Amino acid sequence: MQLIIEAIGFGIATGAVIALGAVGFSVQFGISNILNITYGSLMTLAAYVGLLLINHGVNAWLALVLGAVVVGVVSVVYHRALLAPLVRRGTRAIAMVIVTVSAGIILQYVIVSIAGPESHSYGEQSGSTLHLIGFTLSAGQVAIIVLTASLMLGLHLLLTRTTLGKAMRATSSNRTLARSCGISTDRVSDIAWLISGSLCGAAGVALAITTVSFDFSLGSLFLIPMIAAAVLGGIGQPYGAMLGGLIVGVSSEVAAAVSNPNYKDVVAFMILIIMLLVRPRGLFGAAWSTRRLMEG
Amino acid sequence: MSSAEHDTTPLALSIRGMTAGYGGPPIVHDVDMNVGSGRVVAVVGPNGAGKSTLLKAILGIARVQAGRVELNGADVTGVPLEKLARLGIGYVPQADDVFDGLRVRENLDMGGYLFNRAERAERMERALEVFPQLRPRLNRYVETLSGGERKMTAIARVLMLDPSVLILDEPTASLSPELSRTVLESQVRRLGDLGKAVLLVEQKAVAALGVSDWAYMLVRGEVVMSADAHEVLEKPDMREIFLGATAPSDEPGEAGAERGGMVRTSIREAE
Repeated sequence: MQLIIEAIGFGIATGAVIALGAVGFSVQFGISNILNITYGSLMTLAAYVGLLLINHGVNAWLALVLGAVVVGVVSVVYHRALLAPLVRRGTRAIAMVIVTVSAGIILQYVIVSIAGPESHSYGEQSGSTLHLIGFTLSAGQVAIIVLTASLMLGLHLLLTRTTLGKAMRATSSNRTLARSCGISTDRVSDIAWLISGSLCGAAGVALAITTVSFDFSLGSLFLIPMIAAAVLGGIGQPYGAMLGGLIVGVSSEVAAAVSNPNYKDVVAFMILIIMLLVRPRGLFGAAWSTRRLMEG
Repeated sequence: MSSAEHDTTPLALSIRGMTAGYGGPPIVHDVDMNVGSGRVVAVVGPNGAGKSTLLKAILGIARVQAGRVELNGADVTGVPLEKLARLGIGYVPQADDVFDGLRVRENLDMGGYLFNRAERAERMERALEVFPQLRPRLNRYVETLSGGERKMTAIARVLMLDPSVLILDEPTASLSPELSRTVLESQVRRLGDLGKAVLLVEQKAVAALGVSDWAYMLVRGEVVMSADAHEVLEKPDMREIFLGATAPSDEPGEAGAERGGMVRTSIREAE
């Protein structure tokens, strides 16, 4: 029993990182209708930016912030320079997926060519071990849970309380109608890509902080749990992705604890397939948002 | 087929010799239209006549291949939709006319996006005076509303912009006959009476003509007739021509396009 409780604690920590990534992924899909598979490699990029900074003596948490900013900016440029022009030309959704897969592989190779194929580590960043209500977590994991919770709260307030956030949701819901209200949807898209790219970057560095070592495949391995979380919550729905991240994180860690650690990712795959079969709109997804995923 | 002679009110919106489409062969051909301030102008015609394309070309969504769109005398051809909103053109599309996933209040907020918070609150009050039914539903998500309530939200949202020109694409589509009458008679007419220039595309021709000052009939992308809306309703021969072309949506199930084609021929012959 204790094993399961500890697995749940560990799952919450993993889930927090998945949620960070999944929310960003979901926001990107919501605003642009693009399933951006490059997202995984951009997480890897963030982890290596963090590594570079930490090797130069920068504090890991400052490295997380800077990694987030760098990947946020890279994401805006990537969307503006490559993805948006393709969408404007009427490129089909499936072709867009192929473009983002290809771009992700290219980015991965660029990272390998610069940083090498070997594993890297941030060193000991997790701090002391804490015992909280039966869970055993490192200080680093607790910090990431708190960071995720704060970022999610911030995002919630942005989306529901500010004109910019509502304009993001409006653009996500119906771009032409948003434009007819005078909303500059290109600018709103840029901001959404900056925010979602920053979440991607934060998730990449957070993942590197909590793992013993990582290599160029860090983000791409993490992509499936993240997509599973986004689909579970209802693609395009940030709140769904938050909860989806937590569910995927906890269920994979519990599965690893009670059976074989190798089954961890299998759980994410299973959640993804079952959700697409049984309830493709996800837990919170509206029919209209999921229609876009299924029909492209 | 210009109708500049029909009215002495200042022109808010003019379309001159417009040919437009989506990149392929043009869908509307050499269209001239005028909408004066405080006037409701209906564009009627059978399915596939190019009514929606015409509106989309005015709004910079479809491509204008020839001709121009003028707003208060200034050329606004091809100006992006978000800029047209700033210039005072409001638009209610036929479908997808509200922001799903947003509450009624948030939908109205987006209608007033260009204004500051205080101004928006004031405008929301005014919009709610026009649609008091929405007041108790302000916190509801629009996808939980009935068809009529969604349409009210859509029109209230565009009122938040307080546009000088309003473009309504089949505001009664998917509404019950009763609700259609209410929307046209109490809402669309009222917009004209508020001084706005209203360009109304409608398939329900009798109802649309009843609230309009002027009417254009579009068949296969061309204006085949333009006339005073009340005259059309009063003169049996004109009424027959207009309504013959557009009857199907008043009485669902009839083959509108074919009849429209016949009408076009008969008018050509008459000319």
